[in-house]
Amino acid sequence: MEILVNSATCYKNNNIIFKNANIILDNSEICIVMGPNGCGKTTFIKCLCKIENLDSGHILIDNINIQDRKSNYLDNIIYIGHKNSLNDDLTVTENLEYLGAFDQTVNKNSVNKIKDAMEYFDIYKYKDFMVSELSEGNKKKTSLARLILSQKKIWLLDEPLSFLDEIAVKNLINLFSKHQKIGGIIVASSHYDFSDDVDNFKFFKMEN
Amino acid sequence: MIKNLIKKELILYFRNLNNVFLPLIFFFLIISIFPLVLGPDKLLFDNIIPGVIWITAILTTLLSSNNFFRDDYNNGVIEMYLTSSTGVELILFLRIIACWLFTCLPIILFMPLVSLLFDISFEDSFVILITLLMGTPILISIGIFGSALTLGLARNNILTPIIVIPFYIPVLIFSASAIDSVSLGLPYDMQLFILMALLFLILPIMPYLLKYTLELSINN
Repeated sequence: MEILVNSATCYKNNNIIFKNANIILDNSEICIVMGPNGCGKTTFIKCLCKIENLDSGHILIDNINIQDRKSNYLDNIIYIGHKNSLNDDLTVTENLEYLGAFDQTVNKNSVNKIKDAMEYFDIYKYKDFMVSELSEGNKKKTSLARLILSQKKIWLLDEPLSFLDEIAVKNLINLFSKHQKIGGIIVASSHYDFSDDVDNFKFFKMEN
Repeated sequence: MIKNLIKKELILYFRNLNNVFLPLIFFFLIISIFPLVLGPDKLLFDNIIPGVIWITAILTTLLSSNNFFRDDYNNGVIEMYLTSSTGVELILFLRIIACWLFTCLPIILFMPLVSLLFDISFEDSFVILITLLMGTPILISIGIFGSALTLGLARNNILTPIIVIPFYIPVLIFSASAIDSVSLGLPYDMQLFILMALLFLILPIMPYLLKYTLELSINN
């Protein structure tokens, strides 16, 4: 698995969001996208999963352009944006069950796995709570529990650490290194310095 | 899987029963306004009541499909649709069907009561019911399409109806013509067949169209 971003440029209403972004990521590499507010971190990550399109340059995953029709990049990508992608009117458990509809790598009828995922992030006690009743941190944890359930190789995370408490941050970093050991790739935007916790670590600095 | 998806849709509507009752109440309120405005002219009423019922049905479908994707957009569920590795077309199809089941079907079920209130003959009300049964799924799917189209724009409450209503015209023409024919004693099966054809044309392509539209409106 390899991600290659080549002179990617993105405009919005004639404003440059970012330009000439180049990055190569191989198996077991973690890339932290850093930069001040408004420098295009979110847009960059959205471009990687084609929610937004580049204006020039290209993104190759396993040497196939993601704009290409025959690219099956979505089979390998899990994207968690800073909107949590949770349905407010479903409970935490139901939301995680619903995930199987969007991700074929999630084991269906995996009641135990869902329980494990909730326990990992310490939200099992909220399992029957509506998502709308949860605090922001717990919503974030619920959406991050998707990472445990899914077996996809590439994780694209937009500000995964926001709203999380210290223990949850530690849990997430453990999860990162676990994923790294099995050869996964992670692209995350964050202000947290991961360099002490994980190796094979790349910085990607963006500027205004 | 499909059983699970259907269950989720049902749960969502049963938890928000006001989404089911409010369109119904709205329908009856609008219908009952007409006699107040037009006065107790029985002859006039016999002529216009099928049209009144249809216009009210249109307003109701517009109202219930207007903000169909709004919550999903704000919660980021649409982003999950777009990055999903399984086809979301099935989910979108089930959502259209569920929306119809819970907003239009109650209205159709209450049609006998409306016929009784306005003294519509049995045959007329039967045709109105059939046209509604085939027309409202088309109206709902076009309305949902409109809401997907205007998703990325802020403050689009009025824009969606403006885009959507012109696409309602074919359905309206053929339903009105069917209702006209039956009150004149002419055969009306041709119009019903055309409505059915429209229905079977639009329902299967709508999920694909919706997915494409969602991609576009998120992308702008």
